[in-house]
Amino acid sequence: MLSVRRSASAFVAVAIGVTLVAAATLLLASGRPQVPDRLARAAVVVQSPEAGASADQFVPTRPWSATAAAGLVGRLSGLPDVVAAVPDRTFYAQPLVDGRPSAADSGREDAHQGHGWSSAQLGGLRLTAGEPPRRAGEVVVDRALGLRVGAPVTVLTAVGPEPYTVTGLVDGPGVHVADEVAAALAPGVRAIGLVLAPGADPERVAMAARGVVGGDGRVLTGAARGVLEPPGDARTRWIGMQVLTATAALAGFVTVFVVSSTFAFTLAQRRRELGLLRAVGATGRQVRRMVGAEALAVGASAGLVGLLLGAALAPVLGRLLVDVGYEPSTFRVRYELWPVAVSLAAGPVIAVLAVWSASRRAARVRPLEALREAAVEQRPIGRLRAATGTLLLATGVALSVGTATADEARVAAQYALYAVMALVAGATVLAPVVVGPLVRLLRSPVRRPGGAIGMLVRGGALTATRRTAAIAAPVLLTVAFAVLVSGMVRTTSAAYAAGRADNVNAGWIVVPDRAPGLSDRAVAATGGTALLPTTVYRTDPATPPKDRPLTALGVEPEGFAAANRVLTVVAGSLDDLTGADTVVVTASANLLPSEPYPVVFADGTSVSLRVVAVVTDTSIPGDLLVPRAVVRAHDPSALTSTVYVRDRIDPPVGARILDVPAWAAEADAAEDRLIWLFTLLLIGVSAGYGAIAVANTLLLAAAGRAADLRLIRMAGATRRQVIWLVTAESALVVLIGALLGGAVAFVGLLSVRAGLAEQVGAPVDLMVPWPVVAGVVGLCLLLAVLSSVLPTWRLLRHRPARSPVGG
Amino acid sequence: MTTDTVTVTGLRAVYGTGTRRVTALDGVTTSFASGTFTAVMGPSGSGKSTLLHCAAGLDRPTEGSVTIDGTRLDDLDEDELTRLRRDRIGFVFQAFNLVSTLTAAQNVELPSRLARRRPPAGDVTAALDAVGLADRAGHRPSELSGGEQQRVAVARALITRPAVVFADEPTGALDSASSRQVLRLLRALVDDHGQTVVMVTHDPAAAAYADRVLLLADGRVVDELTGGITAAAVAARIAEREIVAESSC
Repeated sequence: MLSVRRSASAFVAVAIGVTLVAAATLLLASGRPQVPDRLARAAVVVQSPEAGASADQFVPTRPWSATAAAGLVGRLSGLPDVVAAVPDRTFYAQPLVDGRPSAADSGREDAHQGHGWSSAQLGGLRLTAGEPPRRAGEVVVDRALGLRVGAPVTVLTAVGPEPYTVTGLVDGPGVHVADEVAAALAPGVRAIGLVLAPGADPERVAMAARGVVGGDGRVLTGAARGVLEPPGDARTRWIGMQVLTATAALAGFVTVFVVSSTFAFTLAQRRRELGLLRAVGATGRQVRRMVGAEALAVGASAGLVGLLLGAALAPVLGRLLVDVGYEPSTFRVRYELWPVAVSLAAGPVIAVLAVWSASRRAARVRPLEALREAAVEQRPIGRLRAATGTLLLATGVALSVGTATADEARVAAQYALYAVMALVAGATVLAPVVVGPLVRLLRSPVRRPGGAIGMLVRGGALTATRRTAAIAAPVLLTVAFAVLVSGMVRTTSAAYAAGRADNVNAGWIVVPDRAPGLSDRAVAATGGTALLPTTVYRTDPATPPKDRPLTALGVEPEGFAAANRVLTVVAGSLDDLTGADTVVVTASANLLPSEPYPVVFADGTSVSLRVVAVVTDTSIPGDLLVPRAVVRAHDPSALTSTVYVRDRIDPPVGARILDVPAWAAEADAAEDRLIWLFTLLLIGVSAGYGAIAVANTLLLAAAGRAADLRLIRMAGATRRQVIWLVTAESALVVLIGALLGGAVAFVGLLSVRAGLAEQVGAPVDLMVPWPVVAGVVGLCLLLAVLSSVLPTWRLLRHRPARSPVGG
Repeated sequence: MTTDTVTVTGLRAVYGTGTRRVTALDGVTTSFASGTFTAVMGPSGSGKSTLLHCAAGLDRPTEGSVTIDGTRLDDLDEDELTRLRRDRIGFVFQAFNLVSTLTAAQNVELPSRLARRRPPAGDVTAALDAVGLADRAGHRPSELSGGEQQRVAVARALITRPAVVFADEPTGALDSASSRQVLRLLRALVDDHGQTVVMVTHDPAAAAYADRVLLLADGRVVDELTGGITAAAVAARIAEREIVAESSC
């Protein structure tokens, strides 16, 4: 029963879908953490205990204190087959070339990391020139910086720019200082690398090491050492994962959607044939199985093609992802088994899922339909369909509200995607109901003086509401996606920026420039109010996760209170935040002033702090406030993120100055840029696919219309009239789809706005990027007109009279 | 003595509701004897097609019952009805008789295939040969003329050796030469194979091939002709009926 021409559109739709799924899953499987080069030679690495769960999963582990680390190193070096146990210390150190941070390596996190010289042996680093650093003020740097042995170099540290002398060069990023200097800059240790004797079995050593470490850390070997990659890389990789997962999910959804509408359409066109089959003795089940088997065959073959295309495409996309910043530069495409298996299965599964509802409808075709006109199918949608559509719409609205109230923008983007999916599916299911009234509403633009065309267009759209709805579906999908996703992203980021600007009471803001943060000397030079964030770990016996990471902000209470408009003290006084053991907590900590508050600092020492004040949760951009000096004492490498200043000043080295609105808009600029790219990627996938689907369905429709058009020709229509008729028909369908899609998106956007307004506490403007919307609708219109006019034009080259009708 | 292959009793078929209510059949009771050729005639809207659809189990009557080959149709569910159609009934429609993607031979063997039987290749060839199309077995419907398509449909109706063949205006879309060919074939089914054929037509010339003509009007059987049927006799009787109908108004 398979006909090549009939299956071609479903084949193309499945193949494209599987291509996307295959490429996305291959990339997804490739995105595994890499063992950092720096630790490549350490076959076994002991990592300090993991921090408990938190909203931000990219927090470093809880460090061992210097004493604890020394004890562990001593016991680990005593193990058989261990040549050396090296505590790996990492701290901020950025060499300045010509007085500025080198632009070339600002993207690489390990370029501005410093380590003790002994760490070099963990990565097998060898001096290419000079000698190891032995004293304070001596440093070994990357050969790529172009410095000579014996030359002076300024290294930016958390304290400020420090003069060093280059004693040696190595072939790798980062700076290396004498071990004692490193121990002072980074007292806490997060990893101990074990260098093994040649031929030793890492697993056996790891077993022994586990015995030594016990619960105070994790022993890692082989690929598991990937968790030691820089947190920045892990973060980038995570963003990439989200993008790829969303793209794969979207591709799957759009494919099922497009393929199911294609199947529904071909089956509607084959109604008469199905009726004939029923009349000559095919049972409903046989029809369903026949249709299912066709879908399976199409799906399997198209899936194979898609897999090959996807595999070819993956490396290209991979490079693109690295360029854009969705994957760390260490990313390489690996061909794993599971994505191949998933993609192979995807084709048939997608096809069978997509054909499911159409096949049920096909099986219900009554034998008498063989005798009736195929296009007239006026059954209003069933109760089940109405219920399903309503349920989907409701889910969509609920998810949109969830989008607006999600804490993190990236989580919101995920919600947004699923919200749009539900809304689009719901709208498509309910579309046939709306087509009739909508066409009547649109009557006037279509009507022309003496309008035979208008009559025909309207009549066609009204008689076959399901057909019209089926052709409009991909337009609906495309437009709804474009409007909703882009509008949601733009509205959200604008709202957050407005909220941020509102909270700050300062004239100007100093932020780092091509550096991860500002040093103490830079902060002092500005004379402003600074935030010095550090991560502390708290084990609260009442609330489960052990070593829960918290963001503590080191501040000068007076300046902070002046610069912060939303600061609301619930209990106690901020002025008491002076002693080395004082802390201000937020209301959600559920504590009262003078209660004890023990935490572990970045140097691994445990300190029992005392609560001096409680502020509301939204008062501070972190979890705790501590005196700035306390942070500095426990975290010598902590860097200042932001300085509020009253008047414009000249920014110090490695810093820039911004006014408040610019800062508010830029605060998440890097993230917003990624999200916007992500959005465009998703819109591109759905719009490109939707456009193909529009062309696909219309090409099919044109073939099915041949007999009708011939009749219209014979009734006296000129060729131009027929072309105009077909153009008007497809334009009407695109218009219907765009209006429905726009309506769906608008509902979604309104709920997003409501949620946001509540969260930000201020009215929020709806932002719709009209160029994107116009582009998407235009693309659909262009393809729709082309794909219906071209086949019609070919058809019209023949004379209207006698030519064999169909079959 | 022949037995009745198809019996319909008190058939009523009503469509629509309220003012749009249409009574297509208004109490039809008749039977079609085995090995006979019956033509059902009547003006448009007389209910002749509805009678055929109900008798063939393609449509369900509002009231009354249909028995085919001893099986009461109203007791059957949709699947049982389908199986009955597949095994016991053959169809020839006015147009669109064939699946356009299948060859003539594949179309002929379709009902058997649907019943999960593979008809012996000889049967298919024989059936196509019987309708004079043995040489066109591999052609698709688009490569066949309208008359040839109808003859393939007759061959398909023949191959399962059904209890009865229903034909709905089988010559409606054909020129007169092709019509004659198809009608001769149907006649031959009855004479050579002892088939039962029920044909709906509005063409007196076509009806002349039948053993018996039923005349329907307004959903009732109003007249019946048997023996020595000619086109002229049928036409005369129809004209007569119309005069009666008009004068009674």
